[in-house]
Amino acid sequence: MIRNLRELWQYRALLWNLTQRELKARYRGSALGFLWTFVNPLLLMAVYGLVFGIIQKSNIPHYTYFIFVGLLPWLWFASSVGSGASTISDRRDLLTKVRFPAQVLPTTVVGTNLINYLLSLPLMVGLGGLVGIWPDVHALAFPLVLLVQLVFTLGVTFVVSALNVRFRDLQHIVANVLTLWFFVTPVLYIPNAVPEAVRRLYLIANPMAVIITSYQGIFYEHRWPHWRGLTIVAFGSVVLLALAAQVFESRREEFAELI
Amino acid sequence: MSASEAIVLTDVSKSFRKSTIRKEHTTLKSELVRWLKRQKRPEAPSAVIPALRNVSLSVPRGKTFGLVGRNGSGKSTLLKLVTGIYAPTSGTVEVHGRISALLELGAGFHPDFSGRENIFVNGIILGMSRREIRARLEEIIEFSELGDFIDEPVRTYSSGMYARLAFAVATHVDPEILLIDEILSVGDEHFGRKSTAKMEEFRNAGKTILLVTHDLNTLQRRCDQAAWLDAGVLRALGNPVDVVAAYRAAVAEAEVVAMEQHVARAPVAVQPRSGPPAEPGRRWGSFEAELSGVEIHGPNGAQHVFSSDAPFRLLARYHRYGPVEAPQLELSIRTDGGTLVWSTSEKLPEAEAASLALELPRLGLGDGNYLVDLSLGNAAGAVYDVHRGLHGFAVRAQDSGGLLAPVHRWSIEPTAG
Repeated sequence: MIRNLRELWQYRALLWNLTQRELKARYRGSALGFLWTFVNPLLLMAVYGLVFGIIQKSNIPHYTYFIFVGLLPWLWFASSVGSGASTISDRRDLLTKVRFPAQVLPTTVVGTNLINYLLSLPLMVGLGGLVGIWPDVHALAFPLVLLVQLVFTLGVTFVVSALNVRFRDLQHIVANVLTLWFFVTPVLYIPNAVPEAVRRLYLIANPMAVIITSYQGIFYEHRWPHWRGLTIVAFGSVVLLALAAQVFESRREEFAELI
Repeated sequence: MSASEAIVLTDVSKSFRKSTIRKEHTTLKSELVRWLKRQKRPEAPSAVIPALRNVSLSVPRGKTFGLVGRNGSGKSTLLKLVTGIYAPTSGTVEVHGRISALLELGAGFHPDFSGRENIFVNGIILGMSRREIRARLEEIIEFSELGDFIDEPVRTYSSGMYARLAFAVATHVDPEILLIDEILSVGDEHFGRKSTAKMEEFRNAGKTILLVTHDLNTLQRRCDQAAWLDAGVLRALGNPVDVVAAYRAAVAEAEVVAMEQHVARAPVAVQPRSGPPAEPGRRWGSFEAELSGVEIHGPNGAQHVFSSDAPFRLLARYHRYGPVEAPQLELSIRTDGGTLVWSTSEKLPEAEAASLALELPRLGLGDGNYLVDLSLGNAAGAVYDVHRGLHGFAVRAQDSGGLLAPVHRWSIEPTAG
């Protein structure tokens, strides 16, 4: 894993360039250009605001803002894993012609979506301000939660992208699993809505639930994250990433041959 | 670290699994079904295809090494092993020095980005740092001769422009070892010369170059050493002139075989004694008399590839199965393009069987592939047995052109005034 990360560091210029390009390419040629990065979450906000603020009122206060605190990091995770699945199998042109560490590709996807998430944060804070919830001292824990999610997302994306080289139907399975995963993660509801009997298991079994509720704690409820849960997830994520790095290490040549 | 060798391959073999080649990806579903049924994964015994077999070679530092071989002989696999894209199945690959591989032009080019932006990504993929690219940016743009187009999206480029930009980036990487896979032939003649000059510059700068090419002239002129790969096996290694000669001979041989095989696959039309052939076949006639066992010989037995000066012999057996009237044999030699080079005819004896031999003490033909047509019949119009395009040979002559290679002598004497 150390070697893996060191390789990523060696290729940081490529990583940065590909990420930059990914960000630029997404909206290249569109009229609003880079503004889409902000327009997208704004429109999303409008839709959720309409549905849950006006049509179907929820009893959670400032519900639109609440959704946003959890939805934005969820989108970072889901888009990374979703589009990361095929990132290695789609880049035949690169992998069979040039030697470079394959883990650059899934990392690029995760990085791109991370930047998108960070860019949408001001909008989220602005929306919070509108309803009177500004970030307070608890925001100090934000970088930590961000880091945990980064490691976890990298780990999952690595595993999925590596397996997809051999099992091509995985990318379709992943898309469906993500939808299911979204609904078992407390983005649209608070964890207390989950029946008491299974709530504990529910939180332990789903690292994303821990991560998302941490964000909600910081930005919405103004409390510290659930440290013990977060520590377990952090530890598990590091193990996952190490295993995934191991897969990349042992399958390196296989990628070039299989795709 | 060895001081004199840049690349050392020791007993390298590489096999690909058949499923990899046929792109039979296992699906998760099928794995799951198999697991549920508790079946074992079916093991196909001969599911490996060897791409390279026990190849050992070394490229000395600062030398240019050429690699020839037909398509699918394992040249590109070898380059990919040296690059590290593939790992050898057995044996070892050692590389001493920073390597840059030009296996494909424009790796990572994005069509929506300008040439300038693509220089960065492509350069980084090829192993340059951002600083290096910035330092050489103007040089690269100048070399590509794209002018103002450099700021247009790459998708608007012609294929020549695309190749020029890609080549410009590729050649401005500053490696110690350069691997090149048949890409020097991009662009027009002017750019071709520039590319060649660039490669020459690399050579003079003492870089090690491993070059895969089909251009045998380039190989002979530019390489210090060469190797010939055939079906994954190293067939010749050493001086480029010798390697090219061996390769040329084998290719010519293979061409003749292919030419004859192509002919043999065509239907053999047998016509009755009267009436013209219903369709032009490769062999036809009434077969009242027959020509068989046709062989082409050189000085030491059966041979397919000749030099212009070599003696040439054509052998055949004649047999008649009934009474035939004044049989005669017509022989003609034509190029594989159909141009008649020479034809002659000879009366055959009344005997029931005979063995025939045509001898040319010196073949006297120029470089090319030739077919021998034989026609057994008589002056009255009977057609017994026609062999059309069934027998071929090739002439390899590098120092002359045209169909003819007559015996000749130059006399050049300096005169006063």
